[in-house]
Amino acid sequence: MRALGPGSVSSFLKIILDVAQVALSIGLGVVTTLGLAALIFHFDPKIVFQDADFSPADAASARRIIAGGLLIGALYIAGVLVIVGRLRRIFSTLTAGDPFHPDNVRRLRTIGVVLAVLEIIRYPIMLITVWLAPEVMSKSGFGMNLTTWFAVLVVFVLAEVFREGARLRREAELTI
Amino acid sequence: MSLTELADRVGVTIANLSILKTGKARAIRFSTLDALCRELDCQPGDLVEFEPGPPIDPGDDDEE
Repeated sequence: MRALGPGSVSSFLKIILDVAQVALSIGLGVVTTLGLAALIFHFDPKIVFQDADFSPADAASARRIIAGGLLIGALYIAGVLVIVGRLRRIFSTLTAGDPFHPDNVRRLRTIGVVLAVLEIIRYPIMLITVWLAPEVMSKSGFGMNLTTWFAVLVVFVLAEVFREGARLRREAELTI
Repeated sequence: MSLTELADRVGVTIANLSILKTGKARAIRFSTLDALCRELDCQPGDLVEFEPGPPIDPGDDDEE
């Protein structure tokens, strides 16, 4: 299978990244709008918690929980959007035939940091969710995601590999 | 012999010849050295010299 050009793995990955970028951008817009709307406008929380029976005070707090959840969701999507954006830029250097561009080291480190931050902020959010809406948490489960931490490790190792690649590229450039 | 003519004969670009002249090159291929010595009718020692100074760090990268 070819590395570059039409019908190659990279062209397939480029399509996935482009679709993900568009879908996440739309998702971010929709979720942010819904979150802000939930903060500003009054609505019946039963559209989310269908089985619950709310008193007026409970309904107000449920609306705040829904708005908070939506805005946290928007923050999460924004983080994933940053990752996809960096991946697309890394990919554009690959298609340009220069994958060991020094900027890719910074991009990979950014991806690693965003992955770690997204995982770290998940813990306080889960704790708050357990406190505010235990019935939601009992469905999704609580725990540390080792796969994410492993992914962070892989990305940082790759960043170091790319740093060495960038150094070799620079050395090759200055070998006459 | 002009720089352009030398670059043509040795088979390197003028930009690379300039990198060699200014001492910014990290390494020189034996083939380039061979061609330069052939065209300039000299020995490698006439083209390169050692200047005492701090050791060059192999991990040193100007772009980092």
